[in-house]
Amino acid sequence: MSKTDGIMALIEAGIKAEGLRQKAIAHNVANLETPGYRRLDVKFEEVLAKSLESSGSVDLNEIEPQAYQPKNTPVKSNGNDVTLEDEVGAMIKNSLRYKTYIQLLKKKYQQIESAINVGR
Amino acid sequence: MNIDNFFGPLDIAISGLKAQGKQMEVISSNVANARTSDAGKGEPYRRLEATFKSDGDLGGVELDRIVQDMSDFLRVYDPGNPQADGDGYVAMPNINLPTEMINLNIATRVYQANVAVLRRYQRMVENTLELLR
Repeated sequence: MSKTDGIMALIEAGIKAEGLRQKAIAHNVANLETPGYRRLDVKFEEVLAKSLESSGSVDLNEIEPQAYQPKNTPVKSNGNDVTLEDEVGAMIKNSLRYKTYIQLLKKKYQQIESAINVGR
Repeated sequence: MNIDNFFGPLDIAISGLKAQGKQMEVISSNVANARTSDAGKGEPYRRLEATFKSDGDLGGVELDRIVQDMSDFLRVYDPGNPQADGDGYVAMPNINLPTEMINLNIATRVYQANVAVLRRYQRMVENTLELLR
């Protein structure tokens, strides 16, 4: 039973991360022409992977998705570093990952439901 | 089966979009400056060209350099022009508008092709997810 909890909690954490990423992308696109604006990204999966590697288990209450400014992007003449193409690429990846998580979650719930309905 | 970089096709297509965006910038600069007879230093605007490079290893495309086209300036006979030289000729940018228009068409088509790749790949992944229904 706890193993199922673990998987569902991980998937739900991924969904939260994608939700935050969606907000960051929308914020970036809104500031496409704002002088001096640096784009926002969300780090979560790397933090998760590192903690899994080092300690073998992970406490999802401690690891939260975090928005940050990757300062290594090329900057245009007005100090802005947002490109529409990159944001569109990020949106597509975000939507695909989100759909994957939802489908996995759905499959998990269906499993639980069939377990409940055994013998009906 | 080993999928190295799941989002590889997306990143490569995005790099294609950005490259064509740069190409459009260069073309629009050329077209806007087609009659700029003085771009500083007493010389007309020189046509710009964007060159692209790839690492040949599924890394997509990248802008290499924006170079100046070193072909001769056009000499236009216009003795009334204040910038005319002793023989009545004015040096004009080495820009041929039909060439720029053809390049614009090519850049547009390549841009559309990259968008098609993006869209198709997105649909492919969504189809794969259908297996989980």
